[in-house]
Amino acid sequence: MQEATFLILTALAADSQHGYGILADVSQISGGRVRLRPGTLYTALDRLRGDGLIMVDREEIVEGRLRRYYRLTGEGGERLAAEAARLQANAHAALSRLNPAGGIAT
Amino acid sequence: MNDREGLERGYRRLLACYPREFRRENEEELLGVLLSTAAGGQRRVGIAEAADLIRGALRARLRLPRQCPPTVRAAVRLMYAGAACELGILVTVIVTESSVRSAILARYPGLTAAQWHAVVLTHLLPDEIGAPVVAGVWLWLAWANGRGRYWARVVFAAIFGVATLSLLSALAEGATTFAPADLVAGAAIWIVHAAAVLLIFSKPSAPFFQPNPNARFFRVAGSPQ
Repeated sequence: MQEATFLILTALAADSQHGYGILADVSQISGGRVRLRPGTLYTALDRLRGDGLIMVDREEIVEGRLRRYYRLTGEGGERLAAEAARLQANAHAALSRLNPAGGIAT
Repeated sequence: MNDREGLERGYRRLLACYPREFRRENEEELLGVLLSTAAGGQRRVGIAEAADLIRGALRARLRLPRQCPPTVRAAVRLMYAGAACELGILVTVIVTESSVRSAILARYPGLTAAQWHAVVLTHLLPDEIGAPVVAGVWLWLAWANGRGRYWARVVFAAIFGVATLSLLSALAEGATTFAPADLVAGAAIWIVHAAAVLLIFSKPSAPFFQPNPNARFFRVAGSPQ
């Protein structure tokens, strides 16, 4: 799973969000390192909807424009959990080898 | 026309690059986000924004449908590789043209400018013109096969048949007519072509290519839309 996909799914893990909210949340989750642009975000959202990992939660009209809220599907939640577990296992392996005593090497 | 209208028009021009279905689903919403993220007083679409939208449009257009089986996905990748090989040949021909000329002049010092011109016309120019055209055909058939177009599978197999016959006839004329590098390149492309044909005609690919009676290609005039 690409990092952008992982971050988008993570942004939707707790609650539904609209596109602008996802952009801001992805930036916050990644500590400002990943700044998605709208074109990249919506291409990813369209693909994730097609793959059944996210779905539209509700739609609103704000200042005359459509605002759509997305949320994870059951399958999306499972995929995100599996990927998070995989990354956690890798990180744990790296940290435990860097410092076998249990702390983090500095 | 105020700044915002000009900016919106610029975004809409770029959004026109996306597939129709994507636009129907996402255009208004994406436009809203683009306008929300635009800097205050921004009048034109920035270069980075434009690049992002064009990249997104390309991705949306090249994306294979979810129901596309792995065998067809692999075949489409091979077709892209075939197109890359053709472009590789084009670059090789262009880059090595002067060294080819030196080699020919070294072997035939008496070659006149007119004779060299004839060599270019009969041997190099067909490759230079043909390679990008063939690469375009590979890409077009990759796109159509990736979307399960029944005719695309047939056309790809027919072109493979013609390519095989032309390779065999060229070999039958004698290996001396073939430069070794040309033979290697031709054989490599033939193998890529053969592998892609095997993949699109494999059993797991078959359901993806069922002729669709509603498809425009097969629709008979006067039949229900």
